[in-house]
Amino acid sequence: MHRPALEREIQLVGHELAKAFPSRRGHPIRALDERAMDLAARDEELRAALFRFVDVVPACRSAGDLATHLIGFLDEVHDQPPPLSAAMRMACSGAGRAALGAASAASVRHMAHRFIVGSDPRAALPTLARLWHDAIATSVDLLGEATVTAVEADRYAARCAAALDVLAPAYAAMDPHPLLERDSVGVLPRANLSVKVSALTPLLRAEAPARGRDDAAPRLRELLRRADALGAHLHIDMESLDSREAVLELVLELLAEPEFERGPSAGIVLQAYLRDSPETLDRVLDWARATPRPGVALVVRLVKGAYWDHEVVEARSHGWSVPVFEEKAACDRNFETLTERLMQARPAVRVAIASHNLRSVSHAIACNRLQGGSDADVELQVLRGLGDDLGHALATLGLRVRAYCPVGDLVAGMAYLVRRLLENTANESFLHDQATGVPLELLLAPPAT
Amino acid sequence: MTLEPFANEPVLELRRAAQRAKLTAALDELVLPLRVPVWIGEDRRDDEQLVSTDPGEPERVVALAASATPAEAAAAVAAARGAFNAWSATPAADRAAALLRAAAWMRERRRALAALALRECAKPWTDADADVCEAIDFLEFYARGALRLADGAPLLQVPGERNELRYVPRGVCAVIAPWNFPLAIPMGMTAAALATGNTVVLKPAEQAPGCGLMVVEALRAGGVPAGAISLLPGGGDAGAALAAHPDVATIAFTGSAAVGSELLRDAAAVQPGARDLKRVIAEMGGKNCVIVDADADLDDAIPAIVASAFGYAGQKCSAASRVLVSEQIHDVLLERLAGAVACLTVGPAADFASDVPPLIERSAQQRVRSYAAQAAAEGAVVSARQDDVPAAGWYCAAVIAASLPSRSALLRDEIFGPLLCVEAVRDIDEACDLVDALPVALTGALFSRNPRTVAHVASRSPVGNLYVNRATTGAMVGRQPFGGNRLSGTGTKAGGSDYLLQFVQPQVLSENTLRHGLVIS
Repeated sequence: MHRPALEREIQLVGHELAKAFPSRRGHPIRALDERAMDLAARDEELRAALFRFVDVVPACRSAGDLATHLIGFLDEVHDQPPPLSAAMRMACSGAGRAALGAASAASVRHMAHRFIVGSDPRAALPTLARLWHDAIATSVDLLGEATVTAVEADRYAARCAAALDVLAPAYAAMDPHPLLERDSVGVLPRANLSVKVSALTPLLRAEAPARGRDDAAPRLRELLRRADALGAHLHIDMESLDSREAVLELVLELLAEPEFERGPSAGIVLQAYLRDSPETLDRVLDWARATPRPGVALVVRLVKGAYWDHEVVEARSHGWSVPVFEEKAACDRNFETLTERLMQARPAVRVAIASHNLRSVSHAIACNRLQGGSDADVELQVLRGLGDDLGHALATLGLRVRAYCPVGDLVAGMAYLVRRLLENTANESFLHDQATGVPLELLLAPPAT
Repeated sequence: MTLEPFANEPVLELRRAAQRAKLTAALDELVLPLRVPVWIGEDRRDDEQLVSTDPGEPERVVALAASATPAEAAAAVAAARGAFNAWSATPAADRAAALLRAAAWMRERRRALAALALRECAKPWTDADADVCEAIDFLEFYARGALRLADGAPLLQVPGERNELRYVPRGVCAVIAPWNFPLAIPMGMTAAALATGNTVVLKPAEQAPGCGLMVVEALRAGGVPAGAISLLPGGGDAGAALAAHPDVATIAFTGSAAVGSELLRDAAAVQPGARDLKRVIAEMGGKNCVIVDADADLDDAIPAIVASAFGYAGQKCSAASRVLVSEQIHDVLLERLAGAVACLTVGPAADFASDVPPLIERSAQQRVRSYAAQAAAEGAVVSARQDDVPAAGWYCAAVIAASLPSRSALLRDEIFGPLLCVEAVRDIDEACDLVDALPVALTGALFSRNPRTVAHVASRSPVGNLYVNRATTGAMVGRQPFGGNRLSGTGTKAGGSDYLLQFVQPQVLSENTLRHGLVIS
């Protein structure tokens, strides 16, 4: 690809997108207590205290219990900003503790609702319909506790099947949206569900991938059948590196089974933060070319990856080389390289670019256009609650957008919420840059080499 | 001699298929049986009196060993005493260098050594690999520690005198080792003694003579003189003869409470001809409890409890044996824990997909089965699927026992197998009371997300190693120095900075530097 032309196009797209952003009625973290989040981003101890509190909220049984935990965490913050000292004083009396606990639980719940669209798929329908009306498709993700037993795996599979049963007819009843329903490969299903293999089996073992793969296979096969019957799309999420082998083998093996040759539409995830993601892509593309699925080409969702801290800590604690890029620029470069490779690999695969980084998204759109692709041939994904403004800007420009929408109760949502908050307050976070007013030229600059 | 700061030997990254394939190849290449001699100085006596077998396939012979006689025990002590002057006079840096070369020798053969531990003791791959790494860690850690110790300790100096405190080795050290960490524990005790200038006679567990041989091979390959490290394979009588010898100054023991108490008692009696008050370093059993408070994250707690109780079939001294859970979440925890145990696979150590390997020997299998039967008679029992348990080999299903009466022996005895008891408690203080009522205090864990609960339990817990929101097993050298309190041990911490002090005695030299009113220095 001609680099100067690509850079020019990226700038063009980026500026268009920036203009289409909803005016400063707020940046993506507006609903959080901005001051608290700002403090948290600057103060490691406070950040840790707040996250530990968010994490334990669902396990607390009373307002007093909540306050006790909150105060316990804040105790460990050395430099308490004035509002926290006030909270600490409040906790000296029983009534004060109850009030503090109730108030803090309410704000955590409020925060959670930004990210979690409903307690179950049916409760989420009004939000999903509103998004569809705004030209934003969705992928629903069912939050849940970790699966440690076979019963829990069965229960999760049943919830997934039930979600498909709810989503497919609900989406069928919505108004047509040609942009969201067809690309040059064929029909794009309206109902779209993301599933996690770690929830489909209690037997994922990093050193024995076949075990989890074989145990999850019957449950995933049933879900594929159900999705096929309902004309829905099933997307299999990627999690930490410990389970990558099992997930990849499972999905590629099942989708190669003759019964799934013509459906359902299905997809996997490629994590650009992994240093060896280019080799993983080789493997996926080899498979896709050897396993034609007419009209239902494999969707590859390119993400940065959401387990960065986990991967770094795990590798360091074992003395292994860190499997993820430790510099943001290196990761961003890889993201762009993988984007280009994926686009060139079409129509063997369909491409979805999931990023909140204005540069990465603009790069993908520009790349597609320069390759002569129609805008419909690249899907742009955002996370509900974090990428809302970007999603609306993309939709305004007539691009094809899908929002990843977690559904579930508060207990189940906490792990998800903590991960998103970590991402949001990380100093190198794009959202953080954007929220703190880094100029557009810098946001759109090519990743440093 | 300056060394890089200590860092733990990285375990293999077994989530990578290529790494797993290399281990499997190493197992295929393992040539068995090994021949394990009584190896005193340069003298080797081979024999087949002692046979170690694969616990998963008992007809497979892993090692054929000679069994040491009391006379050989005496000869080994004599050889160690003979080598003592030269080895203790060897500069600490040279001794450390020998240990580091032994570490390098093990590192080069790490897969073969892991394969041997897997065959001889049914250590699953991750545990076997970790055992090799820990043995290397002990060599590296104690080599560095001994160098620091060689500087002595600072004393007050005033004009006219020169004061010096140095640490000198105690003499001959008898190392009596267990089979459950068949490389790491014998190597740890031996390396600590050698690094500080003692000479050693190693009596490996009778179930693991092959691994014991590897410990001695490594040290001799590293340059430890033959007389300074002898190998005395054999049964309990060989160990007893060794420990009782009047020329043994130090006994480093890891094993059962019964044997440890005997050693302590016998060592207290000064025998005719003895020149040392024997010092015993003993690491014995525990009855390790996991406390789960109502605010615990069960998604984390359950996998950690399963790993603590059933990893290596519960045969780690640090393994969890009782769960004391807040009554508010008892039912949920028990249901999920039972479900997690129900899907464990009992199978060969060599299979990466196995969760629970066989026990070490037939008598262990019988012991655990009889406890399981008692649990079923006294309370409610959930277990892994019996029909999946292989028939040959010393396998036992994983068992969870609940609703046991408080007087049950299952709540006191060290079962040393895949059996976990779950009990409801009113609150954290009741859990602490139950832990405090035990005479043993090795490891414990607490699952809670309240920092004040963590601080409270830490202040009340008697255990040697308390783990918060993590498994009770997997202590790392230099990170979690390991050892028990109360009847669990003599309170020493293997892999900690003060462990080496057990193997030395301080000696003070004070010199008058004043001569006719003149300071000469």
